[in-house]
Amino acid sequence: MADPGTPDIRSARHYLFWLARLQRGTIVAATLCATAWMLSQALLWAAVGGAVDHGIAAGHPSQLWKWAGLIALLGVIQAVSGALRHQLAVTNWMRAAYRTVQVVGRHVTASGTALTDEIPSGDIVNSVGADAPRIGMAFDSLARFIGAIISWLIVSAILLSSSHLLGLIVLIGVPALAVLTTPLMRPLHTAQAAQREATGRLAALGTDTVAGLRILRGIGGEEVFLRNYRVQSGLVRRAGVRAAVPQAALESGQLLLPAILTSVVTFIGAHEVARGTLQPGQLVAFFGYATFLTTPLREVIQYTIMATRAYVGAGKVVRLLSIEATVRDPAQPRDWPGRVERVLDERSGIHLERGRVYAVVTETPAESSALADRLGRFIPNVEGVTVNGYALGDFSVSDTRRHIVVNDIEPRLFSGELRYELVPHGTSVDERILAALNAVSALDVLDALDDGLATRVDERGRSFSGGQRQRLALARAFLTEADVLILVEPTSAVDTHTEGRIAARLGEMRREHATLVASTSPLMLERMDTVFLVSGGQVVAEGTHDHLVASSALYRQIVLREDS
Amino acid sequence: MSQLPVAGASEVRAHAMILARQHRGEGLRMLSLYALAAAVALVPAWIIGQITNLAAHHQLTSALITREVGGLLAASLAYAGLSFLARRRSYILGEKIFAQLREEFLASVLALPLVEVERTSTGDLLSRTTNDIDALSRTVRFAVPEWLVAIVQALITIVAMLLVSPLASLAGLVSVPLLYFSTRRYLRFARPGYVRERISYATLSGTVAETSEGARTVDAHRLGRRQRDRIDANVRENFYAEMYTLLMRLVWFPTVETAFSLAVATTLAWSGWLALHHSISVGAATTVTLYVVQINDPLDRIISWLDELQIGQTSMARLFGVATVRDDRPAHGPTPTSETITVEHVSYAYREGRDVLRDVSLSVRAGERLAIVGPSGAGKSTLGRLIAGIDAPRVGSVRVGDVELASMPLAALRRHVALVTQEHHIFIGTVRDNLALAQPDATDENLLRALDAVDALEWVQALPERLDTELGTTGHALTPAQAQQLALARLVLADPHTLVLDEATALLDPRAARHLERSLAAVLAGRTVIAIAHRLHTAHDADRVCVVVDGRIAELGTHDELVALGGEYASLWRSWRNEGARDS
Repeated sequence: MADPGTPDIRSARHYLFWLARLQRGTIVAATLCATAWMLSQALLWAAVGGAVDHGIAAGHPSQLWKWAGLIALLGVIQAVSGALRHQLAVTNWMRAAYRTVQVVGRHVTASGTALTDEIPSGDIVNSVGADAPRIGMAFDSLARFIGAIISWLIVSAILLSSSHLLGLIVLIGVPALAVLTTPLMRPLHTAQAAQREATGRLAALGTDTVAGLRILRGIGGEEVFLRNYRVQSGLVRRAGVRAAVPQAALESGQLLLPAILTSVVTFIGAHEVARGTLQPGQLVAFFGYATFLTTPLREVIQYTIMATRAYVGAGKVVRLLSIEATVRDPAQPRDWPGRVERVLDERSGIHLERGRVYAVVTETPAESSALADRLGRFIPNVEGVTVNGYALGDFSVSDTRRHIVVNDIEPRLFSGELRYELVPHGTSVDERILAALNAVSALDVLDALDDGLATRVDERGRSFSGGQRQRLALARAFLTEADVLILVEPTSAVDTHTEGRIAARLGEMRREHATLVASTSPLMLERMDTVFLVSGGQVVAEGTHDHLVASSALYRQIVLREDS
Repeated sequence: MSQLPVAGASEVRAHAMILARQHRGEGLRMLSLYALAAAVALVPAWIIGQITNLAAHHQLTSALITREVGGLLAASLAYAGLSFLARRRSYILGEKIFAQLREEFLASVLALPLVEVERTSTGDLLSRTTNDIDALSRTVRFAVPEWLVAIVQALITIVAMLLVSPLASLAGLVSVPLLYFSTRRYLRFARPGYVRERISYATLSGTVAETSEGARTVDAHRLGRRQRDRIDANVRENFYAEMYTLLMRLVWFPTVETAFSLAVATTLAWSGWLALHHSISVGAATTVTLYVVQINDPLDRIISWLDELQIGQTSMARLFGVATVRDDRPAHGPTPTSETITVEHVSYAYREGRDVLRDVSLSVRAGERLAIVGPSGAGKSTLGRLIAGIDAPRVGSVRVGDVELASMPLAALRRHVALVTQEHHIFIGTVRDNLALAQPDATDENLLRALDAVDALEWVQALPERLDTELGTTGHALTPAQAQQLALARLVLADPHTLVLDEATALLDPRAARHLERSLAAVLAGRTVIAIAHRLHTAHDADRVCVVVDGRIAELGTHDELVALGGEYASLWRSWRNEGARDS
């Protein structure tokens, strides 16, 4: 896919114009085709009128064939221009929607956690799932909208040339009708919005029931939930019934108003026929024009709705695009100082040396996460953290990420072939991957897969259990062979047997590098070279597990769950 | 994780027939209104024919014009009025039928057998509850009525054409074979294309979802570039899917449009020729031609809604499929004479030939605490599910007293055993709703007592609306520990004599679980407890420990016995509890 370019995010309007500028060629082409398509429908009536006047009424079979042939020809023109119009409209849809998806996608992948901190993930997905298609729909119907206006003007001109009065009636009548239908739209929109809201609540109730189904079937309460669902379902239904009246009114209004126009045109036309200034066939044609004009009228109404939705959607997209990453490169990033020998956090007093495994024990999980954020530079201000004596904040973010890897408390897996999910960067021989899987005691996970390392991981890795996901993510962290690895509660979801095995193999796996584990499990802690006990953001004691068990009551309280 | 069944075509048809019968009266009234509207809609073209006739015979007078156009206007007004009534009626009926269908669906979901609930992937059921209900909404509320209406309009127009001139109407038939074959071909080839379109767009949304939800991991592992390329690749796949259906339409649309104008051209030529030979009047020729133009619109709608109807049919099949799963538990059964749980020579397999449990026998007396430990995949959870009566063993027997658990009526089973997992779902609704599901007739006093028992009374009373505070995704957010406490309070209310705890507190941070242990202890008091344990301190506190390895019971005895035995459990215990720290 081509690069989508840099969007204009000053406002929703600017964004839509930016999109339009980039596809003006197809918009113009689509407009031409849409105009041809609509005009051939209108001119069909001229041909029917011609056949009646010059063929049937005048008694000339050859004229009749000629006009009938013209209808067939118009039909072919209509079919071809219609197909081209449709193709170009879909192209316009795709360009606008895909470009939006791409700019959103690029932004999501580049802005780190800043975006997800501000906007719920569901809204981000919605901008791709709903807003982008809506913006696309507006561009899809734009050409028909312009074509509708052009064909209305041309039909008016045709009528003007044979009858000033009729021409003026159509020229003024159609926009008047378009304006007249707007009051019908408002109550409909209100009723539909109410129904959408009620439907949203009902859908939430439905998914909530499914999500908690195990509990409902296990403990009970089905009748209560079914009753609640029925009540809400009844509300949705009543909201729908309330929307039925304005909906039916708008639709029959769209029939009625043009029918009045048709009656007026027919009335005046018939008088001109009686006076002899108009042929009967021309009257048939005029009647046809008047009925045809419902098409442009409907397109205009349709486009107004689409454009409004697109504008709202573009507003959401622009808001999302204007949130920038908070952790950024310094103006002049320093070159990375080679292999990491020593990391020091002056504020907490944690210090890491190459070739050793460390653990940090805190009183609350939040404290561990905050320390990992600081050492891994997931917050903008990391003053006091140094790598080989240089300030961490002086390096580029990408260099930092390459050499210091944080494995979160809830690491995510992504869909894709398992081999490349474990080693996303560069290539890795299978033996290394197997060694890492062995280290995290996950060879049994691999054995259960039909295609081994070539198995496709489901979206979010949801086909694995929580414990399996945790072990695979840990293997991925090991396989980075990062100079510094920070593991937050890496074994919280695995059983004791497995945790023991992982703890035993960790030191060997990380022999060449520096590793910090945030954990409170004795199985893990007893394998560490040094354990830091942190309280109030400061290291209050450090040493081996045995040493701390013997010397610190706080440590015993946290790790051994001893009551003080 | 397995998928639920999908109903067959004949079942869907039978269901649709039942629906049609249930709503026959309203449906017929709606269709008659539409038929009337369609008939009135044909009047203007007929009047134009009359005017043309009068003009051709130079009989057009001002009075006649007023009469004819008056008729035209009256017909237009009647048409708009009748369509208003008909449409309103059809929307209301659509809402009614759709409401009925979704409520029936949810009832069938809530009646799924326990074993099916445990086995089915939530994704499958969720997608039926959201996507298929959505698709059905469009079908029932719009596609079916629009389609029926279009058929009525087309039929009425054909009748009118035949009334004006059967002979002249013949020419309109030229379009039929073209429409039939091109549409049949289109539907056959395009449908998989639309399925692919939907799937590829869902994949795209999925990639964006996992990327934004996993933003932290993406950042930590520098996966931004890769996820971006994946989004691009998903977009490309959706593009190809769109191009395929576009290509299908680029053949079909022009064929349909050509067929329509061909019908107009031949009708005009043929009826004009008949008029030239005075077989019919000029007006009749005009009217029939106008009718052919008019009938194109309902015909177009008939064939363009076919797509949506097919999608609706697929969704119906998936929704009705849930109802085909029947609970085979009897409504009534014998009452157990004791509370002892007996497992006798039990084997169990998820897949044929691969037993997860092999010849397991075990007896748990009332009030006993049993811990089940063992490595992942050893069959601990499966054993727990069998003891909880969710599933029946392949071979052997699992009983409470003398009654087989798997064949106990569900309501009775719940009074005996409950399975407690680490899932602690909070439902949308008040605190009261969330608790009362375990005991629908509980008084507030009961509820508060249950909350007090699990140490949750204090914070519930501090909530803005206390028991009436709205919880769930849209309401007041609870901490995981509070959510877990509510789950425990539900158990106090449900009051089964036996609890099977499947790693109920495993996912919680030990520092939070520590607080929860007190709540848990209150729930466990006076009950038989079978705890599947990750953490060995649970085992230490149990009356007996059962070590499951490879589908068999490897060791069974008290904590001290097993430690003294020096086997699997003893070595685990030693490494878990550092010798130097032992203070007991």
